[in-house]
Amino acid sequence: MIKINSLTKNYTTYIKEPGLKGSFKSLFIRRKKVKEALKSVSLEISQGEIVGLIGANGAGKTTLIKILAGIVFPSSGEVSVMGFNPWERNNQYRRCMSLIMGQKAQVWWDLPALDTFLLLKEIYEIDEKLYKENLEFLSETLMVKDQLKTQVRKLSLGERMKIELMASLLHRPKVIFLDEPTIGLDISAQKAVREFIKSYQSEFKPITILTSHYMEDIKELCPRIVIMKEGGFVYDGPLSNIQKMMGDEKCLTVTTKDSTFKLTIPRLELAAKTSEIFQNHDVIDLNIHDPSIENIIESIMKYGLHST
Amino acid sequence: MKWWAFIIASEMRKILAFRFDFWVTFLGQSFIQIIISISLWKSIFESRESQEMMGYSLESIVLYYLIVPVGSKMLTGENIGFLSREIYDGSFNRYLLYPISFFQYKTLTYLTYSCFYGLQLIFIFLSYHILSGGIQSEQLINLLAGFIFFFMASVTYSQLALGIELISLWADNIWSLMVMTRFLCFFFGGAYIPVDFFPQFMKDILVFTPFPYLINLPIKVTMGSARMEDLFSGTVALLVWTILFHLGARLLWKKGQYHYSGVGI
Repeated sequence: MIKINSLTKNYTTYIKEPGLKGSFKSLFIRRKKVKEALKSVSLEISQGEIVGLIGANGAGKTTLIKILAGIVFPSSGEVSVMGFNPWERNNQYRRCMSLIMGQKAQVWWDLPALDTFLLLKEIYEIDEKLYKENLEFLSETLMVKDQLKTQVRKLSLGERMKIELMASLLHRPKVIFLDEPTIGLDISAQKAVREFIKSYQSEFKPITILTSHYMEDIKELCPRIVIMKEGGFVYDGPLSNIQKMMGDEKCLTVTTKDSTFKLTIPRLELAAKTSEIFQNHDVIDLNIHDPSIENIIESIMKYGLHST
Repeated sequence: MKWWAFIIASEMRKILAFRFDFWVTFLGQSFIQIIISISLWKSIFESRESQEMMGYSLESIVLYYLIVPVGSKMLTGENIGFLSREIYDGSFNRYLLYPISFFQYKTLTYLTYSCFYGLQLIFIFLSYHILSGGIQSEQLINLLAGFIFFFMASVTYSQLALGIELISLWADNIWSLMVMTRFLCFFFGGAYIPVDFFPQFMKDILVFTPFPYLINLPIKVTMGSARMEDLFSGTVALLVWTILFHLGARLLWKKGQYHYSGVGI
């Protein structure tokens, strides 16, 4: 189980004025800027749950994951993952946890994947039988059996991501942090990774936190989502509730001679607004539909939950 | 196999992964060093019309400067930036995720490179003696002792380098600091000029620093010109400095880990 209580993280950065003058000035005077990456957030996740963490760039998703993985220290607050304090970096905790970052390679580029796996087998003290079993299961499910003896740097982006996934799951972790695992992958590779995560989740029931900018990942994998905005949580609940919450609204896509525009309006104002549009514009086509999850989440990320 | 043996094996695999670079480093550099060292010092001695320079004969100074480049490489192991680069680009994350000590991991990878250059040292030493008319058993014992001393010195230097590189947890770029440290170690260690050439007052001061034990002493051991008391005092000095540098690096890590943000390229 993961328990997060009033977790805060502040980063200190330095501001440098642009240009040569600014560069010289920064040699003597530096202006500090404190950025609140996480603002007193609290959360509970049970064993076997998979939670989607979504938010715009800089919302604090990766910071939260790094704290949970024990890479960075929080400024304040409490965290317990499977009863461990992550930043104490207890070896027992590190043996049951895994972090996969789509934008950062963790396997060694100059070695074939199998060499890395053998090293990880020793580091994680994986039993020979379990190692063989996992290697077989992972390489078959991810369809990378033929790539295991090739230097990782010579593999395609999709293949490398699959190797990263394999390397992170060899020790069969009970807690998995997936930070944008499908970033930069083509549609079929994204689908394969999603399918794999789904089958791994149903087979081994780990706690999984997934961050992604692709709504397909979230829709396919996460029954529960947490939406982050500027370091805070603006929504934590079932994905299915999102559409229900916005049930009082309708989306209009209007095509005129000159342009196409979209509107989200209250259901009760639909008739009045539609006739107003027909009066004021030369309408060619008008389409009325329920707002999509993507639109709702985008709106929540921009304006928060109450002002959508 | 234990995890530490696997780390050494993996690092060796990385070194061997690029065969062109491997052969250029191993054979190309070795022969270039032999040729340059012999021709340079031969011409210096001929121009001076002298058989000896500060107690060094032509053969011994050639051998000294033959050992210096590869001995220095053995000392500096994985070389400058082996840790600060990873802190800078965020790939340091992996060591925080693995259930092992990153100090042990990085020291092991560092020493694997030292051992690789140690093989090159053996190769150059043997090639030089074979080319100059054969090798004696006493020289082989000196070579073994020299290898051990260079290895001990590289353990000391690895802890110093670890500490210096950990400063990058506060300052993003510490390249100049690392270059400066290496220059000081090389200069006062006798890589550019043998410590025997330094004025006496300087030699008296250097005894209390780690520098002469890092390069000068291992070279003298390899050449068979070190005295028994030098071996003893050198071993004690290297041990003491290793402990001090290690404790310093641990302190820096203890304080600096709060500054690590795991961001990068």
